[in-house]
Amino acid sequence: MTAMLYIHQTHCIQPQQNPLQANIELINEPVDNKLLAFEPSYEQIPPGILRRMSKAIRMGVGAALPLISQPVPVNGIIIGTANAGMDDCVKFLNQIVQYEEGQLTPGSFVQSTGNVIAGQLGLISKNKGYNITHMHLGLAFENALIDAIMQLNTNPSNSYLVGGVDDLSLFNYNIEKLSGDYKEEAISNKDLYNVDSPGCIAGEGAAMFIVNTIKEYAVAKIMAIHTLHSTDVEFVKQQLKIFLQNNVQEGTEIDLFLSGENGDNRTTAYYTACETLLNYNATIVRYKHMIGDYATASAIGLWYACKILQTQQIPAQMIKHNLTKTVHRNILMYNNFEGLQHSFILVSAI
Amino acid sequence: MNRIFVTGMGVISAIGNSVAENHHALQESICGVRKELDLFPSKYAGVLPFGQVQISTELLQKKFHITEPGVTRTTMLAVHAFNEAITAARLSAVDLHSCDTALVGASTVGGMCLTDELFNDANKKTNGSVYTSSYDCASVCLYLQKRYHMNGIINTINTACSSSANAIMFGAMLLKNGFAKRAIVGGTDSLAKFTINGFNALHILSPDICTPFDEGRKGLNLGEGAAFLILEKEEDINGKNVYAELSGYCNTNDSYHPSSLSEQGDGPFLSMQGALQAANLLPDQIDFINAHGTGTENNDAVESRAMIRLFGKPPAFASTKGNIGHTLGAAGAIEAVYSIFNLMHQEVYPNLHFINPIASIGLSPVKLFKKMNVKHVMSNSFGFGGNCSSLVFSKV
Repeated sequence: MTAMLYIHQTHCIQPQQNPLQANIELINEPVDNKLLAFEPSYEQIPPGILRRMSKAIRMGVGAALPLISQPVPVNGIIIGTANAGMDDCVKFLNQIVQYEEGQLTPGSFVQSTGNVIAGQLGLISKNKGYNITHMHLGLAFENALIDAIMQLNTNPSNSYLVGGVDDLSLFNYNIEKLSGDYKEEAISNKDLYNVDSPGCIAGEGAAMFIVNTIKEYAVAKIMAIHTLHSTDVEFVKQQLKIFLQNNVQEGTEIDLFLSGENGDNRTTAYYTACETLLNYNATIVRYKHMIGDYATASAIGLWYACKILQTQQIPAQMIKHNLTKTVHRNILMYNNFEGLQHSFILVSAI
Repeated sequence: MNRIFVTGMGVISAIGNSVAENHHALQESICGVRKELDLFPSKYAGVLPFGQVQISTELLQKKFHITEPGVTRTTMLAVHAFNEAITAARLSAVDLHSCDTALVGASTVGGMCLTDELFNDANKKTNGSVYTSSYDCASVCLYLQKRYHMNGIINTINTACSSSANAIMFGAMLLKNGFAKRAIVGGTDSLAKFTINGFNALHILSPDICTPFDEGRKGLNLGEGAAFLILEKEEDINGKNVYAELSGYCNTNDSYHPSSLSEQGDGPFLSMQGALQAANLLPDQIDFINAHGTGTENNDAVESRAMIRLFGKPPAFASTKGNIGHTLGAAGAIEAVYSIFNLMHQEVYPNLHFINPIASIGLSPVKLFKKMNVKHVMSNSFGFGGNCSSLVFSKV
């Protein structure tokens, strides 16, 4: 099997100030079932621009700039986001209603478009290359990854910034809450996987990656990716079986399952079904109790996969199941968004 | 060789509800932009001109037996064009269910056409409308996926006004990289209080019918519509009717300003140049350009300068925005269909409402309908965020 792409640098902004905290007592707790990002001071963003940015833009640009301010510029910017401009969108909407379609200020409108993060990054980093925004909800980041794979296939000497970003603004919290996506009862991180109720904890974050075709000094490689839409647990399991048959070579095995489990009892069956396809000694690791769940949460998942492969250490509180394995070289990521959008990503050590 | 062919297409716009109607209207120089807006109450109804699709939301719903709650007009327009495209390409239910059939859609408005409902839900003024899952732009493709039981890669792209040009590119890339055997690609957007007020706040909505590339242009008119194309690889054609070849494409960023293009048009220049290179063509091999030509002060001047930079003396060109208005996320796909008409029928359509060239530039678009040899057509789409894309279609 040849790698589809190599990941070199990674950066993330997420609800945990120390994302690799091993002690569950020390991780940030949700407030009102929301895990809000721990934001840095964004010193690389000019203050005048920073003030006008919504949180999604700030986190996306803030997580990407440390990676693309390198001496060698990337050849393109590929972003996955479900809600990028939502906050400004509703701000502008409120203006429309409040001023009865009168003379409005266009600032929020311009920042309301979904491509605003990739656009701002192109502008700030003076990058005139490929620039695109994937917005297919729970597969927005996966489609961005597929895009990066295809760009590199076509232009093997290039490198790209690829990332996933979503914020939890009051407005999108309200809308998702009305759709029944979040838990009714207040819950702590420790209990997330033990309660039998619908809904998850709301979260937000941004994760960015520099990817290219160079093996040397890479931190991880993507071996395969597959996405599907289905509400049928058996079909999803069948698809994973085929994915593993096609992509896991004789003599190698999946030694870590990075599960997107989010405490929503409506999706537990999918994760359980996927776990049955693994060897019993595979380690199972979870992360949504630290970052909550949102459409592009799997981008943070990939960040964790890279860290585990790079450091060969797993924060104890993330482990669901571990027998004796101490070395992890092949990670299977499975994510399920709202019981409909599924992704399998195979990430391996170099 | 990996050549990508268009084997089906569907379109709905202010000048017609089908491929045949749109073609006829272009031949007859019909302008579908009028001071008419009866889709929702707005201060601008009857005041500003719009390119409204001449079919009511209720009728669309009935025509396609859409009984589920929460399906928006944006999605229904997509269903209309999608249906026509798959019929034209004779895709069977088995083809649609296949893991090898990808769907790549684009939209900027998505479910935000329901401006007032979104306002109420986002501000928690109600217990939730039936639309809480319909607002984002992915809702269109999620509906199509469910309606047609699709199992391949499904994606939604949003690069503002160039969205569906990128959906077409992404679909072609999926075929070339073995992620799919056929791709259904396109875009949709409907008129919305949100975009009307947004473009109005930017002072780029024309009070009159738009006049792309004219010295006296006053801005753009918003329109609505949808278009889908079926892309297949040359080796999978099996005697199917082929409309055109998608021979080149390129996406770049102007990297200048969030909502306007740079003076010299680096983004547009680079996207046109890149698309030519990808198609392996020289500038003088392009016979016609379906320009982005929105009718704004900024776009038309910059696009003209970028064309001069690349082509020296640009080939025949015209904007179809004077026929249908600016359909935002649908524009790239609708104009791809129009570009394919140029190739299929060996003719070009006039840039409506043009009188005088921009004084400092001196370029005139095609003014009259004419038959001519068209082997390669370029179609441009530029958007907010500096997103620029160009496509090249060739006669097969």
